[in-house]
Amino acid sequence: MLIFCAISLRFQQPSNYDTNSKFKAVFIYNFTRYFEWSEKKKADNFVIYVVGKNENLITELKTLASKKKVGNQDIEIKNSYAFDPGISSNITYLLSDVSKSIKEVTSLSKSKSTLVVCESPNACKAGSSINFVVVENKLKFEYSKNNAVKAGLKTNDDIKALAINIE
Amino acid sequence: MNKWRQIVKTFTYSILMLCYVNSFAQNDKLNRAQQLLQTKNADLAKLAIDSVILHPETKSDFVSWTTRAYIYFEIYKRNDKQKLYSPLRDTIISSLIISNSLKPDETFTINNKKLLSNIAAGYFNLSKVLLMDSLNYKNSALAYSKFKEIFVLTEPGTNFNSRDIEYNLAVGSLYSDVFNKDNKNTEAQEIAKLTLLKVLDIQPENPSANINLGIMYYNQAVNLGKGLDYGADFSQIDVVQENIIKLAKQAEQFIIKVYKVDNKNLKAVEGLHSIYKMLNNKPKEDEFKKKCKELNIKID
Repeated sequence: MLIFCAISLRFQQPSNYDTNSKFKAVFIYNFTRYFEWSEKKKADNFVIYVVGKNENLITELKTLASKKKVGNQDIEIKNSYAFDPGISSNITYLLSDVSKSIKEVTSLSKSKSTLVVCESPNACKAGSSINFVVVENKLKFEYSKNNAVKAGLKTNDDIKALAINIE
Repeated sequence: MNKWRQIVKTFTYSILMLCYVNSFAQNDKLNRAQQLLQTKNADLAKLAIDSVILHPETKSDFVSWTTRAYIYFEIYKRNDKQKLYSPLRDTIISSLIISNSLKPDETFTINNKKLLSNIAAGYFNLSKVLLMDSLNYKNSALAYSKFKEIFVLTEPGTNFNSRDIEYNLAVGSLYSDVFNKDNKNTEAQEIAKLTLLKVLDIQPENPSANINLGIMYYNQAVNLGKGLDYGADFSQIDVVQENIIKLAKQAEQFIIKVYKVDNKNLKAVEGLHSIYKMLNNKPKEDEFKKKCKELNIKID
């Protein structure tokens, strides 16, 4: 009976895998299907630049980069805790801990053919093209076509049907 | 006339004598069977006792049936102890049941009970071996149910609730492990769920069952997320998110029960933090993150 007793008192361990980071990575890869970047930005690697701290997300994006391409471009992940204007990217993802930089980043990204993605309240109003939001426990995204156009991207209106549209 | 009377008299005496001798012979066979048992000649003893229990003179004697059970037990011990299906064991049990029905004296009652307890313990050990060594739930559960069936013959009215809880928790815990290591093993998942729910039927607040069930649902949700292809389109993401939310909410239902009874239960606090994070419930996630810190639970 003792053996049963010992086993029966054992607790399972919850997995520490972060499903939200996985979803964000899959969403980001999906975004690449709905925008067209300038010829210059198609020349080298497809750079996803994450600003802020989220190790799980970086891990997911790196796994994504090892498995997928955007067209013929390899995906490259860059990360810094504060925004570095010197880094040229196709997508700049501002995490919630650097939400104060949204206006600065969006104004510097104008006409640079960079898709700015955020995860903070009212980020699209502050200039971001895409903003992750949570609706009834689900991760969804807001979309501002105006901001995407201002950023110098060619847009595909199909994405509007999938997003919470801001304009 | 006198001659006929003499013949009838002699015949009657002969019949009576024959009956007496025969009866004596049966009792002698019983004694012989017992002697053979004592000298460890169980196979020969078996032959003798099998005729004793068939004879009208001795078949209603509890001594014959208990002796038979002990003789069969000697043979059973050799090869059949680890067998789930053993005709020898079945004979021991049925012999003891018959012996008990014949109102045995105190000594034989005690001996019958001893042997039944031994058989019950054997079934219990078998249920353990079948579970731990072979991970064979079906047979282990059968052995466990036989254990209860026999044990109750020695202790009528026994309440098995606490044993059932321990047994089902052990099965649930083992099979949860199997499922967590191999999330394609849905059979393991079903067995874990079934046994843990059995525990909750007996004791709805049982912390181990609630936590393990909750974590199993949570880990199942995690596995759905892990399995999502990076190239999945928005509609696929939506379906997976929908399923993950359902599973996370099911997990929450079990774990919150434990937390409500004991808000310092480390596994409950840790589990709820993970669940609220999965559910994108930031205020709750932060609340439980704080509690984790207070309770020195390492997260992230």
